[in-house]
Amino acid sequence: MIPDGRTPVFVVTGFLGSGKTTLLNRIIGSPGFVDSLVVVNEFGEVPVDHHLLESSEERTVALPNGCLCCHLRGDLEETLIGAAMRRRRGEIAGFDRVIVETSGLADPGPVAQTLFADQALARDFKLGPIVTVVDAADRENRASGAEVARAQIAAADVVVLSKSDLADRLDAVTEEVKSVNAGALCVPARYGDVDPAILLQPTRKSGPAPVFSSTAAHAGGMASFVLRFPAPVSKALLERFLSVLVELRGADLLRVKGIVALDNGEHVVVQGVRHVFDRLRPVSRAPQTGLVFITRHVGEREVDALWQAISSLKGSP
Amino acid sequence: MFLNMKLLAHHSLNGFGGMGEGMSMQLAKDGRRILWLAHESAPKNFTAVDVTDPRAPKVVVQTDLPHAQMRSNSLEVAGDLMAVAYQVTKFGLKPAGFELFDISEPERPRSVSFFDASGPHSRGCHQLWFVDGKTVHMACADPELKPRNPKDDQIYRIVDVSSPARPRAIGRWHLPGTMEGDDAPPPQRLPANFDAGFRAHNTNVYPQRPERCYLGYIDGGIMVLDISEPSRPKLVSRWSNSPPYHGFNHTVLPLFERGLLLVSDESVRDNGADWPKLVWILDARDERHLVSISTLPLPPVDAFKGRGGRYGAHNLHENPPVPGAWKSETVVLGTFFNGGVRAYDISDPYSPREIAYFVPPAPEGSKIGAVQINDVFVDDRGIVFTVDRHAGGLYALEMNV
Repeated sequence: MIPDGRTPVFVVTGFLGSGKTTLLNRIIGSPGFVDSLVVVNEFGEVPVDHHLLESSEERTVALPNGCLCCHLRGDLEETLIGAAMRRRRGEIAGFDRVIVETSGLADPGPVAQTLFADQALARDFKLGPIVTVVDAADRENRASGAEVARAQIAAADVVVLSKSDLADRLDAVTEEVKSVNAGALCVPARYGDVDPAILLQPTRKSGPAPVFSSTAAHAGGMASFVLRFPAPVSKALLERFLSVLVELRGADLLRVKGIVALDNGEHVVVQGVRHVFDRLRPVSRAPQTGLVFITRHVGEREVDALWQAISSLKGSP
Repeated sequence: MFLNMKLLAHHSLNGFGGMGEGMSMQLAKDGRRILWLAHESAPKNFTAVDVTDPRAPKVVVQTDLPHAQMRSNSLEVAGDLMAVAYQVTKFGLKPAGFELFDISEPERPRSVSFFDASGPHSRGCHQLWFVDGKTVHMACADPELKPRNPKDDQIYRIVDVSSPARPRAIGRWHLPGTMEGDDAPPPQRLPANFDAGFRAHNTNVYPQRPERCYLGYIDGGIMVLDISEPSRPKLVSRWSNSPPYHGFNHTVLPLFERGLLLVSDESVRDNGADWPKLVWILDARDERHLVSISTLPLPPVDAFKGRGGRYGAHNLHENPPVPGAWKSETVVLGTFFNGGVRAYDISDPYSPREIAYFVPPAPEGSKIGAVQINDVFVDDRGIVFTVDRHAGGLYALEMNV
């Protein structure tokens, strides 16, 4: 048994008007999400009395459905560390997960980076699923901010195709998503009617649910591929490989995740967004191993070549 | 108040929810899981709860003590045999010792024998360990001995119960200097307000090292005893944190594969008056040289001391070497009175992490306005059972880590 008592932080993102607030309300209203702490950026996003939220000295209020809600003040680190401290002191009831809704124009990458890089935060919290809401009915909307929209899709574990009932060509939107992030789970939705169990499943185990689609695809210079290791690898070698890769092309590593078998018998989770990677965390043995890359302007061949070069060097640790 | 623990069920045990520190699971022959619980104080002796479905616990039997000036506090089950400790409130009272029951029919526990430890200087048995069906290891007075200080009455005793109808004392050990006639001088006592006594508390013996007893000795620290000759236990090593701490070392839990000992203190004063009461991790790779390397992190005392009753360490889940019990050397659980039940990841023993906890609200009927979580037992399904000391009875919890 490899315990991991950290609280998962779900990230709900999506372009302006994509329907993420509808999805958020749907999620926190479902029984499986009782005991969530919802961190909102803007008032009006969840069914809470705004005046109560603003005037509350506790800075956290209980929602009718058993969730807690707090307004993001200062930065995310401060909000989450404060919530964990108050939970431990018994000043608030408790929560099993955090749901952070990013603003419509935000790239979710920095939220993930914050969770990996901030040691105080990483003691109590871990990155949960990133859920990106994509408006299936209005592709033009995303075109106004194509770079951010693609980054949101690239970062996703789950892509919710909202307003699917209004979409002329759902298959085309699905293809658009898959061309950026072949590994993400695509779920069509109307008014946020997603089965919340899909979101809860990956948090049962340490780390993300590995998704090993080997479909390589390209859109706007982006690529998605899987790097597999034929044999267990040295932890030090893996760390060195990731370190060099980040040093050379960190800005283009939109998301890296997966499970790697080490030569000491352990399996570890690898999680990274751009320049920041979580430390390698042991997990229970997984039937499939490998690293999923979603990159920009760097392809499978280059990454594999780097691994081959590093792993074949004699004297490597 | 919770983290990674969910309440599956709560049972107030028919209004007698003041529970001691005896929790043991019987895997009954008919397939039921019966959790046997000792009560903290009279009038009840013990209660058996069918926890086969942890979401719907059912009391199957609840028994009474013969009088109110005694308590059972501790019990252990080995197969279909159960040993129950009897401690009296005044020296000389009876029954003082332990009773063996045949529990093959959980609804009808049948007394098999009684081990009498009563005497003019005895309060009987406070705690016992009984996991192999053959031997009771216990903290119990010996009528043959007279303590120099009455607080030091309960020593480590070994009783052979391989013939359950005829329990037979086969060994004992006490801290030299505590009994009349000892050559050693009396031990230096803690300050009067913390002087709880130099006597035995938990007496754990495991099949991994059957020749060792891991002994909590209240204000005397903890002892590792060589019991390869039960008639002549020998001290291997001793570790103490008091002074400057405030004594009452309670449980020693060995983690054999990792060369570690966990040592719990017991908080015995209300409102944090004896804080800090902690769980200590000792490096025991060399059993003759025990080194304290960390303590389990607890929430700050200022957040809990005013909630009512005690706050601080007490019992641990002891990895009892019996069928039906959960065993782990990386996740440990303890009880902390108004701090609830807490689980820790000690994969890195230098940096233990709190990974789960549950603090119930003040139970109905609580005189102190707060829960006082007293003991914990985890079964091999991962279900966490914990009890309140005063009123709350039994809580069944699911742990998700």
